[in-house]
Amino acid sequence: MSVLASAALAAHTGKLDLAIRHVLAGLGHGIHAGRERGAGVEFSEYRAYAPGDEWRRVDWKLMARADRYYVREAERDSHVAVWLVLDATASMLEPSRSVEGLDKLGMARLLLGCAGAIAQRQGDAFGLLICQGERAHFTPAARGPRQLQRVLAQLERVDAAGTLPAAEVLRASLHFARAPSVICVASDFLDWPSPLSEAMLRLRGMRHDVRALCLQTEAEIAADFDAATAWRDPEGDNRLFRFGRDVRAGYAHRRDEHFDMVARACRAHDIPYVAAAIERAPGETLRTWLQAKRKAPGGRP
Amino acid sequence: MNSLWWWALPVLILPILWHRQKREQTKAVPLATARFLPPSSPVQLRVWRWQDLFLLLLRCLLLATLIAWLADPVLPWRGDSVLVVPGADPAFVAKQLRDAGLTEARRIDLPNRDAYRWLHEHEREFDPQARLLLVGDVAMPAVLPRLQHAVVVRAQALPVAASEHHVAVYGQRIEEWRKLFAAIEGPQRYVLDAQAGLRTELVIWDTPQTPPPGLRAPLWWVVDTSAFPELEKTPQVDGLHYLDTPRGRLWNAAWLPPRDAGAVRTLFETWRRLHAGVSPHTAPPQAPLVDARTPAGPVGGALRDALSAALLVLFALERIATHVRRP
Repeated sequence: MSVLASAALAAHTGKLDLAIRHVLAGLGHGIHAGRERGAGVEFSEYRAYAPGDEWRRVDWKLMARADRYYVREAERDSHVAVWLVLDATASMLEPSRSVEGLDKLGMARLLLGCAGAIAQRQGDAFGLLICQGERAHFTPAARGPRQLQRVLAQLERVDAAGTLPAAEVLRASLHFARAPSVICVASDFLDWPSPLSEAMLRLRGMRHDVRALCLQTEAEIAADFDAATAWRDPEGDNRLFRFGRDVRAGYAHRRDEHFDMVARACRAHDIPYVAAAIERAPGETLRTWLQAKRKAPGGRP
Repeated sequence: MNSLWWWALPVLILPILWHRQKREQTKAVPLATARFLPPSSPVQLRVWRWQDLFLLLLRCLLLATLIAWLADPVLPWRGDSVLVVPGADPAFVAKQLRDAGLTEARRIDLPNRDAYRWLHEHEREFDPQARLLLVGDVAMPAVLPRLQHAVVVRAQALPVAASEHHVAVYGQRIEEWRKLFAAIEGPQRYVLDAQAGLRTELVIWDTPQTPPPGLRAPLWWVVDTSAFPELEKTPQVDGLHYLDTPRGRLWNAAWLPPRDAGAVRTLFETWRRLHAGVSPHTAPPQAPLVDARTPAGPVGGALRDALSAALLVLFALERIATHVRRP
């Protein structure tokens, strides 16, 4: 399957969990080596089976006795929480100009869903924060397959609109984190500095592992837009913008300048920053993002 | 002159341009990275697409109809024609039709003897290839007319029709006046009455009495001015005083009643010329000059009523459509 077809397939799969399963199946086992860590080593308790639990964790002897499915829960060594932060502002609706039906929000939703699924398999707690329309929708961190369904449902329901919430709103939402956390931020980072960037730097200052994924389109990277169309900024006023051969170099220069600045700021605070085109295969993007190394040792991928 | 209005047809380009530009002002596609582009002034991109096609069609039709109304087009719907002056001898007309081979041609009865004027005014209605035959007692024009069509003229002078004129004479000398009128030659017959009636054209006042208040006539010859002392001070031409009163026009002269034949002739000619009008001579059988560049006559308006109605309907429709479109 070609790279593009894979991205298009991900965009067109209506069910988010199916797309996630497809992406993770393509990844193999490289990314979640510690999947089984903690499970079954120190027995803690039985709990009722819930859809999404792995069959291998069902206690078959107990099932034969009680005629019900029970799952063995184990003590966890991991106290890592994974926070999925989705930028769902209006600019995230930017579509791919080459792949029909694919946009930044869809790809961010898929990649964050994959990160959530990996966290669930590893036994980590994970939570979700959606920045949309000047508000922050917060889903508290928890473990287990039900939490994954909850998070995926939230992701599927979200629709991009408005601009980023104010800095104090984000600060109130991200006040957690005494435990070490992995914070996965998927955004287009067109606003920098912004309340979101401030929150990222603050969390990084609290020694959390913050990972930035900057989603772009191939048309943006190549600076190639229709010259016969009038453009407007979805988060700005109704001013018109024009693209043409004469302004192409200026556009590329200003855009590179901006994202160089973003990358520099991330590097200065030791935040792994990955810029990826949404037309790329989601599995590759996910692997690059989650395996990006920090300068200081000891970080968890 | 009216046909110059057809040059205003390029005005139709205006609504076409306006409808094209309007579409561009409202259309802009969101682009997340638009902030890296230079802002564009509201100069619109030129794309040949239109909105509100129905309204555009209405406006173009409205303008076209207005121009057509001003240009007043006349369709050349008349073919070979025979123009017959009123009073023409039917036998003479039939003979001329046969001679010219126009027995199948359409017959047009002219309203009066002035055939050339009528033809000039209605010439745009005739097909350029139409053959025209002019028959009857055509009035002779002052100069040889110029027309766009070749016209064959078959003139026939008609005798002046006999007519009867009533004259009321008030006074003792009615017999003398009767002799005077009887001496006039011509087809007119003069009837002298002692009292004025409805048909009286002339009153001869030859008595010092004051005329009764209800007595009216187009012309009075006042021989005895005792009843009209104001006549003495009125303007005069060749010794003839004249005055317009509610009773009619009054004439008075020192030589009334006329004593010699020359005075009689002068008096009668003046009277007939001023009050009965001049009867033109019959035109000679001379074809008018043919010149295709002759300006067409002024009369048109064949389509004016239909165009006015269309204009009204289109204007109402355009207003309604504009109102409906307004948000």
